[in-house]
Amino acid sequence: MPAILVLDDSATMVMSLSRILKSAGYEVETASNGKEGMAKLAGGLKPSVILTDINMPQMDGIAFIKEARKSASTRFTPIIVLTTESGGQKRDEARAAGASAWLTKPTEPNELLTALKQLLPSK
Amino acid sequence: MQSTIEASDHLVCAVLAAQVAELRSRIDTGATVELLWQTSDMLSRLSGLVLEFAKRCSESDPNLNEECNAAIAAEAEISRSLESLAFTQAQRNDFTCQTVDCVVTALERLAVTEGTVGARLSPSDLDALYVSEEQRKVHDLATRRFNTAALAGRTDAESRNREGPGG
Repeated sequence: MPAILVLDDSATMVMSLSRILKSAGYEVETASNGKEGMAKLAGGLKPSVILTDINMPQMDGIAFIKEARKSASTRFTPIIVLTTESGGQKRDEARAAGASAWLTKPTEPNELLTALKQLLPSK
Repeated sequence: MQSTIEASDHLVCAVLAAQVAELRSRIDTGATVELLWQTSDMLSRLSGLVLEFAKRCSESDPNLNEECNAAIAAEAEISRSLESLAFTQAQRNDFTCQTVDCVVTALERLAVTEGTVGARLSPSDLDALYVSEEQRKVHDLATRRFNTAALAGRTDAESRNREGPGG
């Protein structure tokens, strides 16, 4: 069962994403910011895909992507950005940092699951 | 006199920041989302019981069995819709809270920094607080409206000046 690491500072968003992903058959790990997410990765978590918000306290999504890309275990892990930011400079920054896909809130569960399926390594 | 005006101005900003922050907890729809999840979970549980019941009556009452299966299918559809609604609501809630946080941060900054309003917080300072394109669009629209109104005000004042006090 593929594991997804979800990063969002909104507890309601984290819970909502977890429910949708779990009901679609994924294992879910969560973090409330980039720092917590990095700590989980350093602790040995090897997610198949990472789903991250951009605007978070302590370490934002872009800083997290940069850090994750430095680590050998997550250098090539697909990272989806899910944020209220709809584009422009932040999107360019995220792409430059190594984001694989970008979804703007509000999005639909199906849109999210389709993006995940496209990025998951085929077996 | 000037310092009294500034102190009053700071106080107004501090009070407004507190008022908007207070509003945040009321517009936070986390409880609504929670209720949608609870409803979805309860429907799933009931659906499980109906499934069990359907199995037991499959031979003794085929019609009831059919109705049970239809109810289970309907439940699955409704649960999907509830989850989708909760997800949309959670995202809207997220955006609303972020905008409220932006207003509170701006007002708190105005409440503690010295100088004129423009110097304490410029439009570009505000822009740095935004977290979405939607907020920037509202900012641009408000700026255009403000500039149009200011221009109209200046034109009116100039007309009055040209016409003189008796005009």
